[in-house]
Amino acid sequence: MNVAAPLVGGRLPDGLERFDIGHADYTALIDPDTAFWALLRQGEPEGLDALIRQWQDQRGDFAREMEMLRFGLKPSAVYFNPTERCNLDCSYCYIPREMRRSGEHMSPERLMEAMARLEEYFARTMPEGRKPQIIFHGAEPLLNRDAMFAAIDAYGDRFRFGVQTNATLLDDKTAAFLMERGCGIGLSLDAPEEAIATRSRKRWTGEGVFASTLAAIERLKGYAGFNVICTMNRENLGQLVPMVEFLHEREVPACMLNVVRCTQPGGRSSWAEDEAVAKPYLAALERTHQLFRETGRKLVVANFANILISILAPTARRLMCDISPCGGGRSFFALAPDGSLFPCSEFIGLPSFAGGNLFTDRIEDVLDSPAFKLVTGRKVEDIRACSTCPVRHFCGSPCPAEAHEANGGMDKIGAYCGFYLDQARYAFRLIADGIEGDYLWDGWDEGTEPAFSFGC
Amino acid sequence: MSKTEDVSKTKTRPAIIASRKTCDAEGTGLSHFVLMDKQVKR
Repeated sequence: MNVAAPLVGGRLPDGLERFDIGHADYTALIDPDTAFWALLRQGEPEGLDALIRQWQDQRGDFAREMEMLRFGLKPSAVYFNPTERCNLDCSYCYIPREMRRSGEHMSPERLMEAMARLEEYFARTMPEGRKPQIIFHGAEPLLNRDAMFAAIDAYGDRFRFGVQTNATLLDDKTAAFLMERGCGIGLSLDAPEEAIATRSRKRWTGEGVFASTLAAIERLKGYAGFNVICTMNRENLGQLVPMVEFLHEREVPACMLNVVRCTQPGGRSSWAEDEAVAKPYLAALERTHQLFRETGRKLVVANFANILISILAPTARRLMCDISPCGGGRSFFALAPDGSLFPCSEFIGLPSFAGGNLFTDRIEDVLDSPAFKLVTGRKVEDIRACSTCPVRHFCGSPCPAEAHEANGGMDKIGAYCGFYLDQARYAFRLIADGIEGDYLWDGWDEGTEPAFSFGC
Repeated sequence: MSKTEDVSKTKTRPAIIASRKTCDAEGTGLSHFVLMDKQVKR
């Protein structure tokens, strides 16, 4: 899981790099530092000199935009863990087992105090009129439901809320509460077949939770702020195409097909090689497109959509894993039930990455702590394989927790170099074919304006 | 032949394709959760 993928291409004299996207007609030219790109019909098409002049004229603007995106943001979201406990024992969880089995809840009083402290912080840092986001995360946040819901009711006018849940406790009443308040809801399911889904996601007794997840999907049908996360691991790679068919049939509006992160030993034992992941993943993307063409209804694969957007409009991306430095500790941070602050939930099982405590430290000081700086200072320019890679700003070399724990340091790549390269190639092929919009949610570019246009 | 290999489809496409859009950066997510819209429609 520490092998960089081979690149086909080469640096051109003018600073652009050629990148083979595997398309019959087009190849890509990329300015890696500014995430500028162009697709050229094979050969030397007419207009290339004009394109290069226009790019050179605007290169400084693109560089400033990337500098702001990479180093100029302040946090606007918190991944808030209201409990250490979970009623499941999933094989790849990044939270230590003992913590999930017998950890503590955050008390209702403490949870309200945390909200008050976060409100004070965001009042100092967020632009007026923009609401910060709180995502209740886990472990299983609904185990501490009443405290969490009290916070949603008390702060619903000042924050946007979301919940990531395993759905075992998402009954009618709970779902109605969240939907009535416009909360985002993310569920987890790894396969459309119960036996396979249960291999990775199960109770402490070993019993599966497929039926309750399915019931929750039915309960949330028609709700726009709902998505399902499928964690791709060596057990379910053969299920990805049936999985997107299953979700599309149930009118799920969006899903994420996330690679299992190798931060903890359980994740590492679920790891699969790049090609083994990329092939069924791209087949699943193709299937979502066929389903859209057949039905007119999209199932957006949000993590791939984000990579497409990172190419089409770098500043419009929503997820901050596939950029360097990643969003951990700079555009969001994670709060553990004891008040410890981590750059991202992925670090919660790694005590040395706690940068301070919400109840005793200023958040600004925590963001500036050595533990956070280790993450926010990790950039692709300092990673040997990435420093020459043309898609380094469409990939970001995720994930720092994984690189640190599985591959030996922050200057190492993550566990899926070739997989990200294949995603970038596929995204460019869609753009070459003019069908990239079919893979994005409607209105994805609202609020954007053209910054460069040539030939389209 | 898959759509991405369909040569006939790209014959009508320009010889050079390059575009970029821009906006205020609001990136906030990570890979565990996504709020797809700026405000969930109720």
